[in-house]
Amino acid sequence: MKFIAKKPREGINVSDEHPLVEAGTLIVGLTAIFIVIALALIFIIEVALYFVSTEAEAELFSDWIPDDLVTVSPADERLEQTQLLIDRLVMHWADTPYEFRVEIDDSDVANAMALPGGLIIVTQGLLDQVESENELAFVLGHELGHFRNRDHLRALGRGLVLSIFFAVITGNDVAGLGINATDIALRGFSREQETKADAFGLAIVHSEYGHVNQAARLFERWDAADENSLAIITYLSTHPQPGDRVERLRAIAERDGWRTEGPTTSLGWKGR
Amino acid sequence: MEDFFEKLSMFTNFIWPLLLLAGAYLVGSIIEKKHFQSIRKREDGLHGIPVVSFDTMPEDWRVSSSDMVTGSIVISLDYFKRVIAGLRGLIGGRIKTYEPLLERARREALLRMTESAREQGYDAIFNVRLETSRLANAGRDGKGTAGVEMLAFGTAVKLASRIG
Ligand SMILES: [Zn+2]
Repeated sequence: MKFIAKKPREGINVSDEHPLVEAGTLIVGLTAIFIVIALALIFIIEVALYFVSTEAEAELFSDWIPDDLVTVSPADERLEQTQLLIDRLVMHWADTPYEFRVEIDDSDVANAMALPGGLIIVTQGLLDQVESENELAFVLGHELGHFRNRDHLRALGRGLVLSIFFAVITGNDVAGLGINATDIALRGFSREQETKADAFGLAIVHSEYGHVNQAARLFERWDAADENSLAIITYLSTHPQPGDRVERLRAIAERDGWRTEGPTTSLGWKGR
Repeated sequence: MEDFFEKLSMFTNFIWPLLLLAGAYLVGSIIEKKHFQSIRKREDGLHGIPVVSFDTMPEDWRVSSSDMVTGSIVISLDYFKRVIAGLRGLIGGRIKTYEPLLERARREALLRMTESAREQGYDAIFNVRLETSRLANAGRDGKGTAGVEMLAFGTAVKLASRIG
């Protein structure tokens, strides 16, 4: 037998296609597919929201809290006082289907969020930042506004869609996904949702105190601060910029002829 | 200042992974090109040594001595290949970014085996086999791939008289 040496033949086992062409095709194609799926899911969420009544939601999530929430001690006096404040504010929302519960997150980063079943989470960081009850009342009223417009369920639905998508991309187990407060906290609402929630929150503050003095004071302080400190940056990443907000709240008060002067109430745990 | 925050999150969310991807692509493709150049050059140098996969020795070979020779290479994926393969994994199809990687591994392993045979004075190798194994990554519960090993081995022989 004759052995004739040959060099290995090129191009059989390796594709001629440039790797960047493949990368481009994959990225553009998959992005398009994902956008279509995401839009379809957002549509399904809207349809589901139409059929799931608020009462059913309040019932379903009545005892639920997020998997990763670290709360302060149940004996903390701020917990009881914040709960009492919410109960007072909710009296101005006559037909609410929720029984609102408050939990205080151990985090030093200021934030507040609305979660399914009437759960409102405020962080210790936020409680450190507010200087009067009126300021806190507006922040809470704003979250109540999200409940009224059911924004919290939209956020939850969209968040789930996103986490499933990232789990698929990164190859993680989709079935093991929990609902994390940190996920939800990092998810903002649209400008329109925020504006509506602000209007509702201010109306509640007005009904409670008979004036809107100090309601936006927290945001005025944040706006005047030279730099956004780490303590408030999270709140600002999911809420409107404080300057815009102060302006808008002033406009609402002027339009509806609400008093902007009036006595402020201090917080029980402050200034002692 | 809100600008700063937006830019920061923009950077961590989009720009940084893209930079990483571009960097991995540039470095990875330079290394790949150089490796193929080196493979072709060395293949030219070894031209003429029979390397065959028959499991019995051709009858007309008269052999004075023999030994097993091996050549192995452990080669790693770059981040770019990994990401593109991950995307490919969603829809299926040829993982075109992995093909040159494994081609390099096969030819390099065969080359190392052949070079080792020649260094020891052998003239031919028969019963050549290739084996691949995946090296699991210690992180992520061994789900990730650190790289692949390609092992080539065969029986090298010294020919007393080379017929044909
Ligand atoms: Zn909001």
